[in-house]
Amino acid sequence: MSFLIAQSLINGVILGTLYLLMAIGFTLAFGVMRIVNFAHGEFYMIGAFCALIGVTWLGLPYPVTLALTIVFAILMGAVVERLVFRPFRNDELSGMIASLGLAMILQHGALILFGPDPQAFPAMVSGVFKWGALIVPKSRALALGIGLVILLIFYLFLMHTRHGRALRALVQDQEVAAVFGVRLEIMYPLGLGLGIALAAVAGGLMAPLFGVSPFIGATPLLKAFIVVILGGLGSIPGAALAAILLGLIESFTSSFVSASAADIVTFALVIGVLLVRPAGLLGRAEA
Amino acid sequence: MSSAATHTASGPRPMAFVWALALVAVALIPWITGSTFHFHIAIMVCISAMATGGLAVTAWVGQLSLAHAAFAGIGAYTSVLLVTRLDLPVLLGLPAGALVAGAVAFVIGAPLLRLRGVYFVLITFALNELFRLVMLEIPEYSGGSSGIAGIPKLSIFGVTLSSYEAVYPFALVCLALVMALLVLIRKGQLGHRFGAVEENLALAEASGIPTAQIQTLAFTIGSAIAGFAGAFLAHYVGFISPETFGFQLSVSYVIMLVTGGRLALWGPLVGALFLTPLPEFLRGAVEYQHIIYGVVLIAVLRFLPQGLAGLPAQLARKGGRA
Repeated sequence: MSFLIAQSLINGVILGTLYLLMAIGFTLAFGVMRIVNFAHGEFYMIGAFCALIGVTWLGLPYPVTLALTIVFAILMGAVVERLVFRPFRNDELSGMIASLGLAMILQHGALILFGPDPQAFPAMVSGVFKWGALIVPKSRALALGIGLVILLIFYLFLMHTRHGRALRALVQDQEVAAVFGVRLEIMYPLGLGLGIALAAVAGGLMAPLFGVSPFIGATPLLKAFIVVILGGLGSIPGAALAAILLGLIESFTSSFVSASAADIVTFALVIGVLLVRPAGLLGRAEA
Repeated sequence: MSSAATHTASGPRPMAFVWALALVAVALIPWITGSTFHFHIAIMVCISAMATGGLAVTAWVGQLSLAHAAFAGIGAYTSVLLVTRLDLPVLLGLPAGALVAGAVAFVIGAPLLRLRGVYFVLITFALNELFRLVMLEIPEYSGGSSGIAGIPKLSIFGVTLSSYEAVYPFALVCLALVMALLVLIRKGQLGHRFGAVEENLALAEASGIPTAQIQTLAFTIGSAIAGFAGAFLAHYVGFISPETFGFQLSVSYVIMLVTGGRLALWGPLVGALFLTPLPEFLRGAVEYQHIIYGVVLIAVLRFLPQGLAGLPAQLARKGGRA
C-alpha cells in the first residue's frame, strides 16, 4: 500500500509539472492581456510537431530542437497578437471568442498539413530508474527534469529581469504599469509569446511520451483550464499550487478508483470552486 | 457587448417587407431546385437556427453559454429514451426534450448566473465537458461511446416523415414557432427587461428589476429551445452519442450567433443561414470548412461587431456620413 502511495506521488508530481507548464502560459496571457486563450492547447500541438520535424526530419539534437521550438513559438505569439488579439484588448469576451476561431484555424491547418493519423516520436532515452519497488521510466524523468529547468529559468526571468518585472506589473495593474513606463506595445506580444512558448515546449517535451497528432491539444488545454480556474485566473502562484494539486488528485484517484473517476472528480471540483470562490484559490477577487 | 441592444427600429417598414420576401424566397430554394441535397441543407439550417436562437436568448441578458450543446444533448436523450423505451410518439418527445432541458437549466441557473463574463463562459465550458463525461459513464442510457443508432424518424400523428421533402415543411414550421417566440420575447416587456439587464446590470437592479430571476428565466428559455433543437436533430439524423454534443457543437453555435449578430433579433437565423450551407458549397474542401469558420469568426468580430444582421445598419450609417 505504501508503495502504491509513493508511486502515485511520483506520477502526480510528473503530471503536475506538465500541467504547470501549460497553465502558467495560459494564466500569463490572461493576467497580462485579459485574454482567455482557447487556442492555447493548439500551441502545445504545434510545439509537438516542431519537435517532430526537428528531430526526425532535420535530424537535429533534441535540446537544439526544443530551443528552436521556443524561439519559433515566441515569434508566433507576436504574430498572433498582432493579427488576432490586438483589436480586442479591452474586450475580454470578444478576445475569447476570437481565440475559439484561432484554435479551429490552427487545428485544421495542422490536419491539412500532417493528416489525422498519430505519428510516432522516436524515444529519446530508454530504460527505467528503480528505487526498491518504485519505478520511473527514464523518458518521464527526462521530461520532468527539462520541464523543471525551464520553469526555473522562467521564474528567474519573471522575478529578476526588467521585462519580467514589467510583466508582473501589468498583471497587477495595467494603468499604473503604463504610467510607470511599461511599454504595452512590447509587453503584450512578449507576454503572449512567452505563454505560447511554454505551451509549445510542453508539447515538445511530451511528444516522446504521448505521440503527435493534430488533436493532442485538447487535453492539455482542458488541464490548463482546470488548473487556472482552481488557482485563479491570472495568478501564477495559484497556478503552481493548483497544478501540483491536480496532478496528485488525478494520479491518486486513477490508482485507487479509476481514470474516468479522476476526470469527473476534477470537473466537479472545478465547478465547486467556481461557485464558491470564482477568483480561485489564490486569485484576487474582482470588483 | 453593450451597444447594440437598441434594435427596435431595424429600418423603415418597406425594408422589412423586402427582407421578409427575401427570406421566403430563400426558404423556397429546395422546392425550386428539387435537389434532396438542398432539402437536407435547408433542414440543417432550420435546426441550427433554432439552437442558435436559444443561445441568443441567453446572450440577450449578457451571458454567453458554452454548455448549449449539452442542453441540446439533454433534449435529444430525453426524447430518444422516451420514444424508444416508453413508446411515446415523437411529437411528444420533442417538447418533453425541451421541458427537461429547461428544467435542468432552471435548477442550475441561479448559482451559475452569479458568475459573469468569461467566468460564466468557463463554468459552462466545464459543464459541457462534465455532461459528456457523465454520459460516457452511463452507457446503459447513453449508448456509451458507440452511441444510439436507429433512432425512430420524426412522425406526426402516426405519419412518419421518411423523406427529406416531408421533413422540411415540419422543420420550417418548428423554426417559425421558435422565431415567433423570440419575437414575442424581444418585443414584449420581457425583452426590455432583458435589454436593461444586458446593458447595465447594476442600473437594472437599482431600478427594481429582479436581475437574477430575469437571467435565470432567459437561460431556462434558451436552454429549453436548445433541448427542442437537439431532440429534432436526434430524430432527423437518427444517431446520437455523448460526443455529438461536445465542445465542438457548442462552439459552432457560438460562431453562428456571433457571425449573425450577438444581440440582433434575426442574428441566429442570419448566422445559421450563412454558415450552414457555406462549407457544403465549397466542394472537395471539407477540411477547409473549420478554417473558413475560424476566419469568418475573427473577421466578423473585427469588422462587424454587430454581426451580419447589423450590416445594413452599419452600411447605412457609413453612407449617411459620406
